[in-house]
Amino acid sequence: MRRTLLKAAVAAALGAASALAGVTPASAQDAPVRIGYAIARTGPWAAGAQITQEPNYIMWAEQVNAAGGLNVKGKKRKVELIGLDDRSEAETMVRSYEKLMASDKVDLILPPWGTGANFAVMPLIQKYGYPMIAPTATGRKLLGMKNPYFFAILQQPDLMMDALGEFLKARNIKTAAMIHVDELFGLEQAAALEKSFKEKGIQIIEKKSYPLGVKDLKPVLNDIKAKNPDAFVALSYPPDTFLVTAQAREIAFNPKAFYASVGTAFPVYRDKMGPAIEGVMGLGTLNPKSSPAAKAYFDAHTARHKKEPDRWASAHAWAALQVMQQAIAKVGLDRKALRDAIAGGEFDTVIGKVRFRNGENIATPGVVSQWQGKEFEVVWPPDRATAPALHPKPAWK
Amino acid sequence: MGFWLELAASGLITGGIYAVVALGLNLQYGLMRIMNISHGEFLMLGAYLTWLAHTVFGINPVAFLPVVAIVLFLTGLAVYRLCFRRITRTSPSVEIIEARSLLVGFGLMYLVQNAAYLIWGADLRGYSFLADAVVIGDARFAGNSLLAFGFAVAASLAMLAVLRWTMLGKAIRAMMQSPAGAQLVGIDTAFLHPAVFGAGLALAGVAGALLSMVYEITPGMGEPYTVTALIVITLGGLGSAAGCLAGGLLLGLVEAFGMHFTSPSLKMLLSYAVFIAVLLARPKGLFAR
Repeated sequence: MRRTLLKAAVAAALGAASALAGVTPASAQDAPVRIGYAIARTGPWAAGAQITQEPNYIMWAEQVNAAGGLNVKGKKRKVELIGLDDRSEAETMVRSYEKLMASDKVDLILPPWGTGANFAVMPLIQKYGYPMIAPTATGRKLLGMKNPYFFAILQQPDLMMDALGEFLKARNIKTAAMIHVDELFGLEQAAALEKSFKEKGIQIIEKKSYPLGVKDLKPVLNDIKAKNPDAFVALSYPPDTFLVTAQAREIAFNPKAFYASVGTAFPVYRDKMGPAIEGVMGLGTLNPKSSPAAKAYFDAHTARHKKEPDRWASAHAWAALQVMQQAIAKVGLDRKALRDAIAGGEFDTVIGKVRFRNGENIATPGVVSQWQGKEFEVVWPPDRATAPALHPKPAWK
Repeated sequence: MGFWLELAASGLITGGIYAVVALGLNLQYGLMRIMNISHGEFLMLGAYLTWLAHTVFGINPVAFLPVVAIVLFLTGLAVYRLCFRRITRTSPSVEIIEARSLLVGFGLMYLVQNAAYLIWGADLRGYSFLADAVVIGDARFAGNSLLAFGFAVAASLAMLAVLRWTMLGKAIRAMMQSPAGAQLVGIDTAFLHPAVFGAGLALAGVAGALLSMVYEITPGMGEPYTVTALIVITLGGLGSAAGCLAGGLLLGLVEAFGMHFTSPSLKMLLSYAVFIAVLLARPKGLFAR
């Protein structure tokens, strides 16, 4: 269905194509720029991928085509997306990318969803020389591979956890309890958190890990409640983010600061939890109030997909496409030149300036966001804040 | 003391949720040996129906439970007619019913799950209902989990009573032991067989409706629940209503105490250790006769 929609959009755009100053419009003879990717449409990764990532790819291709095409070094060419369902299987995902790069020989690729999937596809992009700007991969382990074609546009764990540490230190938090999911994501975040809290003089009085898919964490939360920490941090994935929130509320565990991770930025978190989440903090980057560009992005996404983007990695996915688009305008589709342009340039995006050093986006700071009313407000760092922080957290509603 | 009671109660309530998940499959596999591996998918359908009714039409999810049960019961009759009737008629033994229905169940699983992906997309969905805590003594429990627990106990007891003390229950058990013999003594197996299958699906749907109040939902949510259900009914003894409840509660308790004394990360290890221990001691499950 998506492909049909895309074709319809392409057709509509062709009709309306008009020449922009200095750019040759796309003509029927020009082959489209073929951009391939594999992403989860079914299976356990699909919820994250379909909230955060693929909607952006589709919207971007439509917008580019509606504007006459992708500016390839001054010449406009249509974009054709070749999107495959990886069924949330690493093996299927890797095979799909191998096919896209080796036999379909697409012009460019877009990244899959999630830290693990990006990690798995990294050797391939280096082998075939395809630059990839990942919006949903965090972990020093990935950057440590020093893959010249891999760019991480999302904030790395140390940045995010440091921001949280600074925020809590500024509010005189002395003790914290932490739980984390037993996955690469949780382990990296937990290590970064421990390091940061140690530096900031925040004592971690309880630390527990749990497996993905857990259905009950109440015994753990009860234990933590008995120890009465100032702050509680759950380095969690979406199902458990919902679970710890609901169960902390259930047992009236209400520390001064309550932080949960992936999923807090999802609009469905607000819809599922209702007004209960007032004052809950989590991983975020921006919201519609951050800038006019952010507002325009949220509006366009909501109009196109009938749902809001999340307030963390969605905008990074969009920014990654903007970076690629700006680099292509400058150097065209030669992938080596494109890689160099991405590595060496500075780009204006929806998340602000983006600049890479050794594959890491060093222009976007770590951010702490907090639910206040219907909005996930940015509360740290001060120069990005969209609202003052609510501290201590009010009692659960 | 209060702390231990609360820990136990929390384990029992989670166990109640496991039992709810297993009820429907216990009818289908436990009593009829139809290995409906797509059990979790119908649970997911129940969850989505309830979510739709609540978020689009503003219907109270509890009031909607009977509707879910009826819709899933009728779906069950249709599924039985299309997929399982032939299998039960042409298979020479229950072992072969098991094997063949497993394959059909796999097909159904993909069909139903992917249909849900097409209709609703992969996004997480959810709504808030009865999430407020109910205070009992010093302990606090979410209303929606208590509801699921209450339903698990009530439905298990009802099933136990029906199977043990009513003519209908006797007929169902007779049909299980010897379909031909049951027919000879005048039991309408052509009606009873699909009806029991449909009741299993109805229970799966109601379980899904109850879970949608507690957890968020996705089209892929069903598979792990099928695994949970299989463990619970095997633990309790196939076809035993009391066993299903006991199996669920036991798993919940083991997890709660295990989590307190060790780490939640050892949850799977502990659950499977108990599972293996029970099967070593009583290979046919806790309540098998």
